[in-house]
Amino acid sequence: MVKQFAEWLSTTSPSVFIQNHNSWVIPAIQSVHIIGIAVVLGSVFMIYLRILGWAGMDQTLRQTTNRFGPWLNGGLYLMLATGVLMVIGEPVRELVTFSFWLKMFLVAVSTVFAVTFQISLRKHERRWEEILVKRRSIQGLAIVTFLIWVCIIILGRLIAYDHIWGPWSPATKA
Amino acid sequence: MGSVVAGNKGLTQMDVAAVLKSLEESGLATRIRDSVFLFPMIESTHVIGLALVFGTIAIIDLRLLGIASTQRSFRRMASDILKWTWGAFALTALTGSLMFITNASVYYHNVFFRMKMLLLVLTGINMLFFELTAGRTIHGWDQAPSAPRAGKAVAALSLAMWIGIICMGRLIGFTTSRATAVPPPPAGVNFDDFLQGTPKEH
Repeated sequence: MVKQFAEWLSTTSPSVFIQNHNSWVIPAIQSVHIIGIAVVLGSVFMIYLRILGWAGMDQTLRQTTNRFGPWLNGGLYLMLATGVLMVIGEPVRELVTFSFWLKMFLVAVSTVFAVTFQISLRKHERRWEEILVKRRSIQGLAIVTFLIWVCIIILGRLIAYDHIWGPWSPATKA
Repeated sequence: MGSVVAGNKGLTQMDVAAVLKSLEESGLATRIRDSVFLFPMIESTHVIGLALVFGTIAIIDLRLLGIASTQRSFRRMASDILKWTWGAFALTALTGSLMFITNASVYYHNVFFRMKMLLLVLTGINMLFFELTAGRTIHGWDQAPSAPRAGKAVAALSLAMWIGIICMGRLIGFTTSRATAVPPPPAGVNFDDFLQGTPKEH
């Protein structure tokens, strides 16, 4: 089903346009996508370092998320936009892979984490600043969510090498 | 250094070729080439490293430009953040070197690889320039919302050059191929040659 959709998508005119200009359009989109991930990873990294108490201790947690939250969101929209363009430009290469769908799953998981955190921080600001941020479980969770971002980056790169998944990769059956 | 000795340019070129070849034939390079997952994992680690390098450098540059974190002490931010930048840079340099040795002569002759290395050297010079100018008077502007003019110029250049480095890096992946023995392009290479036809994804 996914394969049929990908094949259909590759016949649509936006896809054909990108395919016809792929010598520079695809590297350009991918470069912007990487700049996006740098903004995202840099932003979450600073928030995690603040939660762990390793950087930004002259700022409150709220000040830290106010500083990096908007950049995080902006980076995510940039990644979404360039990601969609990459799927349109090379539907089969992207969609008919194990790495892509595992990546999308982890993106969904980390989005749930990020939204829950932001809502909770807004609701229980004092509790977060005084108690929660010092809790081992919260700090452990921060490390786990950072590692999820690391996995997202690895999976993004593995889309180009999906054969390493062996029988799990739909690309190897093609 | 080789070219300074001069007089025998052919010999130095042969030396470079020999070094590149020995790198390619090293046990480490062979092992990476023979593995299905080592190269992709090294490349992924390279992306994680560069994301942290650019992400953290951008935070410092935006502070210098007076665009973000304008209320914070510059010195405090620099001591908080730059150690992570250097750590991430070490990771990218290491993974970059590992990728380089798997196909050294192809990368060495690749125009985008050369441009990327040139840009990296220029970011180093840019940093040195900062240390010799605005870096000397930090005590005077540490709490100010932005750096003096020289500091702002350094920050703007740094952002532009790092974006350039990322784009060059991605283009290297499209114009080199690890497994196949692509003959190195001629020395006087035409930029447009690389921008035609279907690029090989890597």
